[in-house]
Amino acid sequence: MVEGLAIGACYGLFATAVVIIYKTSEVVNFAQGEMAMFSSFVAFHILSAYQYPFWLAFVITMLFSILLGILIEFLFLRPAKHPSILGMIVITLGAEMFLMGLASWKWGAEQKFFSLPLNPSVTYEPVKGMIITNWAIAVFAVTACIMLFLYIFFKFTRLGVAMRATQQNKHAAKIMGIRTERIFSFAWGFSSLIGAVAGMFFASRATLDPAFMMEPFLRAFAAAVLGGLMSIPGVIIGGALMGLIENFFGYFWPHWKPIIAFIVIILVLCLRPSGLFTKHYVKKV
Amino acid sequence: MFQKRMVVLWIAVWAVLCLAPAAQAAMPAGFDDNEIRIGQWGPQTGPAAPWGSVARGSKLLFDIVNEEGGIHGRKIKYFIRDDMYNPAQTVAVVKELVERQGVFAFVGGVGSATGMAVRDYLAAKKIAWIGPAAADKDFAFPLNPYLFASYPLYKDEGSILAKYIVEKLKMKKIGILYQNDAYGKDGLEGVKERLATYKMDLVAEIPVEPTEKDMASQVLRLKTAGAETVILYVMPTAAVITMKTAANVGFKPHWVASNTLSDYPLMFKITGGLWEGVITGALAETPDSKSPLMIKYREAAKRLAPEERWGVFYYAGIVFADPIVEALKKVGRNLSTEALLKALNSTKDHQTLGPKVNWTEKQHQGTDSVMIHKCGPNASYIMLQDWTTNDMATWKK
Repeated sequence: MVEGLAIGACYGLFATAVVIIYKTSEVVNFAQGEMAMFSSFVAFHILSAYQYPFWLAFVITMLFSILLGILIEFLFLRPAKHPSILGMIVITLGAEMFLMGLASWKWGAEQKFFSLPLNPSVTYEPVKGMIITNWAIAVFAVTACIMLFLYIFFKFTRLGVAMRATQQNKHAAKIMGIRTERIFSFAWGFSSLIGAVAGMFFASRATLDPAFMMEPFLRAFAAAVLGGLMSIPGVIIGGALMGLIENFFGYFWPHWKPIIAFIVIILVLCLRPSGLFTKHYVKKV
Repeated sequence: MFQKRMVVLWIAVWAVLCLAPAAQAAMPAGFDDNEIRIGQWGPQTGPAAPWGSVARGSKLLFDIVNEEGGIHGRKIKYFIRDDMYNPAQTVAVVKELVERQGVFAFVGGVGSATGMAVRDYLAAKKIAWIGPAAADKDFAFPLNPYLFASYPLYKDEGSILAKYIVEKLKMKKIGILYQNDAYGKDGLEGVKERLATYKMDLVAEIPVEPTEKDMASQVLRLKTAGAETVILYVMPTAAVITMKTAANVGFKPHWVASNTLSDYPLMFKITGGLWEGVITGALAETPDSKSPLMIKYREAAKRLAPEERWGVFYYAGIVFADPIVEALKKVGRNLSTEALLKALNSTKDHQTLGPKVNWTEKQHQGTDSVMIHKCGPNASYIMLQDWTTNDMATWKK
């Protein structure tokens, strides 16, 4: 159960990255997984080629991931003239393929070993049969910190309020003196950073290769839809729910594990199209 | 009126003149006095690129053959095409090789789905395909006169591994984690068939989707079932996640895996050393084998392909391609597809680095044998059992 919750929290964390961009520009960023993959490869490269200590590599990777997010927004999305939402999505798909090709060219398609400085042999068993791993503790701690930061950021900082304003009405925000282009750059950079953290968690659990984030992206997107694409706490809960449901079915009915989450999502979309934790609203045209 | 007729006549004459050479060029003969054109598809990029070394391993063999003077005065011109492990792409590259490059025969070719996408096309074009680099029952059954399979079937391997687990490891509680497709299900079938002869049943049989990234519930299920040995018929990434998850929850069974996971240096590296002690099926000798042929190829690789890692999938490319070289030698100078098929159909106990291969006019599944290896310290290879045939292989009867 704890592992299920932890993997769910990891989906939720990654879904948060998707939601941050969606909240500001209403674009689902299909390059999110590959941005995280690319940043994880950068961390791997710093660790293996330069032998830097993990925390230094981590900080450099975080800075790189912010830059990567800003660059993708600047180079791929900003030049598009009056793009429709569908057009923007297609552009993100192009960015996804570009990053995957670049990573394959630079690091090859062979799987790589990536680990976090967490001793895998140290586990805790507070209740008999309930094993908590270091990885799970790290995921919970990081997710909680990022959630707290996001709450404070969106509620109490000028930049956070400006981001919310941009999402609600881009033109009004512009009239009020908000530099919306900067807001977009910031959202992409910040989203890329959160994605990179989640990417490193996923890579340390599996392997690192150019295609390793495709499946987690789909799950995270599903978690975001489940929780509601506009609600950050919603996507974390959506992710956790998904992890729990999947692992419950995985244990008792393994054949159902890969599809159960999507069945639940279809049900949720039928009953509450905006997701479990967002208010349903109708856009006036 | 007369002018109109003349125009029609001219068009007709031009059409005949233009189309005649085009029709000839559409299907070049596949060989001439100086060369024989052979092709192979394989993933050189994309998620399955680590298996792309098979096609490059075949190149080493053809380079050696050419260096030694070719076959009856003809050099082998070899084409590798990247299909990215995508069946649609395989169809495109195979058509290009057949219709534009005029390939005489194909060797190897990684993947079941990719191979199945071009199987009927190659048969319709009457082009021989030797040694697909995948164990799919549909390659050899029903008999396809142009397709010669030399990869041991996963069902046979599963049966041999199960026998080893019960008789040599003396294990009673066996679980299996299998990929939910033909690869995993064939392995599962072989294991179950063998266990039935000991009146045993699996304590857990758990399907996994190829893209699965979380194995917590599956590993827990194996653990609670009390499995002493777990057989893996999954992809490398799924195997890594399983091993890491099991290590995290303190589950330490004997791990036994399919030959698809027998690239120990790779598996050892990506599991962070957890692969040590894992037993696998194997479709070729160990890379450090002292057999004369292995030494010859290993030394040639250092000279002709120094950038390549001497891994099992690289030299498996030699195993899959070697039978065509032998058959071409047997055919002599009067080459034709019919002559090649005849030579291939008389292949008897042909062995290089892989198992013995036998093909007849009625049987194109060439082998049912695997070796059993174990991953030692630092990804070294330990040979546990020499070539073993499956005495329960139903297709032989």
